[in-house]
Amino acid sequence: MTVGFQLPDVGEGIHEAEVVRWLVEVGDTVKEFEPLVEVQTDKALVELPAPTGGQVLEIRYQPGDLARVGDVLVVIGKGEERAESRSEAGGPEASAIGRVLATPSTRKRARELGVDIRKLRGSGPAGRVTRDDVERAVQAVRPLEVLPPAVATEPERPAGMEGKAAPSPSEGEQRIPLRGLRRAVAQKMVRSAFTAPHVTAFDEVDVTELIAVRREANSLLAGRGVKLTYLPFILKALAAALRKHPYLNAHMDEDRSEIVLKREAHIGIAVDTPDGLLVPVVRHVDRKSVLELAEEIRTLSERARSRTLDAEQLRGGTFTLSNMGPIGGQFATPILNHPEAALLGVHKIEERGVVHGGEIVIRSRMNVSLSFDHRVIDGAEAVRFINELKRLLEHPNLLFLEMSAAWS
Amino acid sequence: MVVGDLAQDVELLVIGGGPGGYVAAIRAAQLGKEVVVVERERVGGVCLHQGCIPSKALIHAAKTYAGTAQAAEMGIRFGTPSFEMEAFRAWQGGIVHKLAAGVESLLRANGVTVVHGQAALLTDDRAAVETAQGMEYYRFEDCILATGSRPAVVPGFGFDGKQVLSSTDALELTEVPSSLLVIGGGYVGLELGTAFAKLGSQVTIAEREESLLPGVEPLLVQVVKKNLRKLGVSVLTGTNALRQEVVDGAVRVTLEERGLTRVHQVEKVLVTAGRRPNSEDLGLSQAGVRTNAAGHVVTDRQGRTNVRRIFAIGDLTEGPMLAHKAIRDGVTAAEAIAGLASGKDALAMPAVIFTEPEIATVGLTAAEAKERGLEVSVGKFPFAANGRALATGEGDGFCQVVAERASGVLLGVHMAGPQASNLIGEAALALEMGATVEDVHLTVHPHPTLTEVLFEAAADADGVAVHLAKRN
Repeated sequence: MTVGFQLPDVGEGIHEAEVVRWLVEVGDTVKEFEPLVEVQTDKALVELPAPTGGQVLEIRYQPGDLARVGDVLVVIGKGEERAESRSEAGGPEASAIGRVLATPSTRKRARELGVDIRKLRGSGPAGRVTRDDVERAVQAVRPLEVLPPAVATEPERPAGMEGKAAPSPSEGEQRIPLRGLRRAVAQKMVRSAFTAPHVTAFDEVDVTELIAVRREANSLLAGRGVKLTYLPFILKALAAALRKHPYLNAHMDEDRSEIVLKREAHIGIAVDTPDGLLVPVVRHVDRKSVLELAEEIRTLSERARSRTLDAEQLRGGTFTLSNMGPIGGQFATPILNHPEAALLGVHKIEERGVVHGGEIVIRSRMNVSLSFDHRVIDGAEAVRFINELKRLLEHPNLLFLEMSAAWS
Repeated sequence: MVVGDLAQDVELLVIGGGPGGYVAAIRAAQLGKEVVVVERERVGGVCLHQGCIPSKALIHAAKTYAGTAQAAEMGIRFGTPSFEMEAFRAWQGGIVHKLAAGVESLLRANGVTVVHGQAALLTDDRAAVETAQGMEYYRFEDCILATGSRPAVVPGFGFDGKQVLSSTDALELTEVPSSLLVIGGGYVGLELGTAFAKLGSQVTIAEREESLLPGVEPLLVQVVKKNLRKLGVSVLTGTNALRQEVVDGAVRVTLEERGLTRVHQVEKVLVTAGRRPNSEDLGLSQAGVRTNAAGHVVTDRQGRTNVRRIFAIGDLTEGPMLAHKAIRDGVTAAEAIAGLASGKDALAMPAVIFTEPEIATVGLTAAEAKERGLEVSVGKFPFAANGRALATGEGDGFCQVVAERASGVLLGVHMAGPQASNLIGEAALALEMGATVEDVHLTVHPHPTLTEVLFEAAADADGVAVHLAKRN
C-alpha cells in the first residue's frame, strides 16, 4: 500500500507553500510523525511530520517549488508495491458499501482541512461522516503539526538567529522550538524593529462624552443582539484623522525608496491568540457604519482566535490599531506592523481627577501610544494627527460630520 | 518566437469556449483572475451549437409533430400535419442564438476577454493564437485546455456533409431525408434516428454490438427498443458497415451480419461512432503535456496535467464525454488555480439519453453492485402505474432503484420513461447525500407528478410500496 502525502492546510488560510528543505531522501525509511519536510508559507516556516511510517518512494516537489494545499508532496510506501498517489487513486471509498458516506459539502470541507475522509469513522447512520466528524478530526491532528507547547519559561531568542547545534535542555530551563506563528511573529518584529526608526508619542484622551454616546447607542440597540464596544468608534475617528494626515496612512517601499500614500483606510486590528499575535484587517473603514464595523471586528476576532482567517484577511492593512485596554498597562511602545508607517495603541479607560473648566473633576480618560516610522513621519505631524484624533474622540458628535466621508 | 512579437501577459488563458471552458473562465474571474478565453467560433461549444441544444430542439419538434397523431385519441383532430425544415431551422437557430448571447453577456459581465482564433501552445507558458487579424501571443500563469471533441470517423465512411453525415451535419439538414441509415446504435444515433423517424424518414440503425446502447442497463434498452419498433425503425444489431458507394443521389452501404453481407440503399447515412478528443493541433508536445493512447490528456483529480501550470477539462480528458462533466471539471480547475481546495469527488455522473422514452441513469446498476461484492435490494415502479404519466399519454417505462441491502443506502437509480432526464437530478442529489431508500420514500413527493415513481421504487426496494401488488 502506498500513501501520497498531500500538503495539508497548515492554518491561517494558507493555500500554498514553498518547499524549503527535505529532511528525508528517496529510499529512506521514515517513522510515523518523523519530520519529512520544511515548507514556508507566507506566514510561517512549518515542519511537516510523516503521516505514516514507510519507505519514501517518490519526492514530487524540490526545494524552491511552490505546492498548493492538496498537492502530493511525497509518496510513502508501506510494503513493496508500486507508488500510487492516494489523491489520484479514484473516488472516495471505504465503509461497508465501498464508498464514503458524506454529503458533497462535507467532502469539500475535508479537502479544505486536509483531512483524509476515507480514514474517518462516521458517527452518522450507516457510518455517515458528518461535518462535525471532519472538524473534530482536524482538532485531533493539529497538535501533531508543529504547534509548540504554550508555556515559555525563558525569553524568546530573536528570530533569524537559528539555533546551531542543539544544546540539550538542562534542569532549570525548558526549550521551545521557534516554529509556526511564533516564528512568523518573531521574524516580522525583527524586520520592523531593525528597519524602521521607531518613535512613540503618548497622549491622554478624554472619553467621557464617548462613553455617554456609546451607552446611549447600546440602550437604543438593546434587543437587537448588538453590543457596541469602543473599537468601532475609534476606527471611525481614525479613518477621519488619517484622511487629513495621509502620511500616517502610508507604507515605506524600501526597494524603490518611495513613500506610498494609501488612498484607502484598511485598518488592522491586533488580536491576541493563544498561538501568537494575528492582525486581521478591516477593509474600507471609511465607507462603513459603526454598526458594520462592530460586526466585522467581532467576526474577524473570532476567526483569528479559531485560526480560520483567510490569508486575504491578513493582508493589505494601511494602519494598525492595538487595543491593550482589556489587559491593562498605562503606556507601551508598540513595534510597527511593517511596512505600515504608524500604529496606535489604546489603553484602559479610567476615571481620573482632572482640571476641567477651571475645576478638579472626575473624568474618564484613556491613554494612547502612537508609534510611527520617523523616516516617513516627523514628530510634529504625529502630534497634529493625535490632536485631530483627540478632537474627534472627545467630541464624538463631530464623528457624525465625518460619517459620509468615504474617501474616494 | 519571432523577434518583435510581444507576448501579452495573462493570468489565466482558457483555450476553448465550450461549456467547460466558459464556465471555468467565469469561475476563475469570480475568484479574481484576469482571464482570456480563446474560441474558434462562437462561445458555447459543440453542446450549444451542434449538440445538446439544437438536437433537443429537433427532438422536441419531432415529438410534437408525431404527437398530433396521438392527439386524436384525446379527441383533438388536426388536418394533415406538415413539417417545414426551414421554419424549424429558424426557430432552432433563435434558441441557440439566445443562449450564446447569454453566455457572451455573462463573460462580459465577469470581465472575461474573448479572443476569436485558433490557439496552440508553444511552450509550457506560452501560446499563439491565430486570429483574423494575425498572430497574437500570450504568456500565461495558468492555462486550461478545453478544446472538446469531434465526431469520430468510421474507416471508409468519411463525412462528405451531403450524404454521409456526422451528427453535426444531421442537425444542419435542410430537408428530412426519405431514408436514413444510422451507423452506430449509441445515444447519438438513437436520438437522431428516433427524431428523423418521427419526422417521416425510413430509418435503419446498424449497431456492431449485440445490443443497442452498449453499457446501458438492458432492461432500460428493452423499453426503447420496443418503441423503435412501433416507430417503424429497423434495428440491426451485431452488424458491421463494411463499405459505401455513392450513386445517383443515393448511398449503397454494404452491411455484414454474422458473415452474411447485403447491400442497403438509402438517401443518407448518419455515422455516429463516438467522439475523438481535439488534442492534435494544440501544441501539447511542445508544452510537454502528456496524453494517453486514445489522445486524451491525462490529468489528476483537480484537472492538472503533468505540466503544473496547465490544466485540461471536459471531452479532451479521460472519462465520459458529457457537458455536465466538463462543467464540473471547469469549476474544479478554476478553483484549484485560484488556490482553493477543490477536487472532483462526485460519486456518480448522471447520464441522460433523449430516446423515446428517455433514459436516465445515475450510480451503480444491480449487476455492477454485485460485481463489487455488494448485496443489493432492488425496487421497481412502472410509469404505467403513475397517474400523471397516464394522464399525459406516456405510460411506457419504469424506474429502478438499487440499494445496499443491509444499510438501505442508495447505490443507483435507472429510469426509462417520460421526463426521465428531468427526474434523475433528484436521484443524483439523494445519492451524493448518502441517502437511504427510506430517506427517499419518507420524503413526501407531490401528487400527481412523475416524481412519485422514484419514491414508489424506493419504497419497493424497502418492501413497503403501496401502489404495487405484492410480489412473491
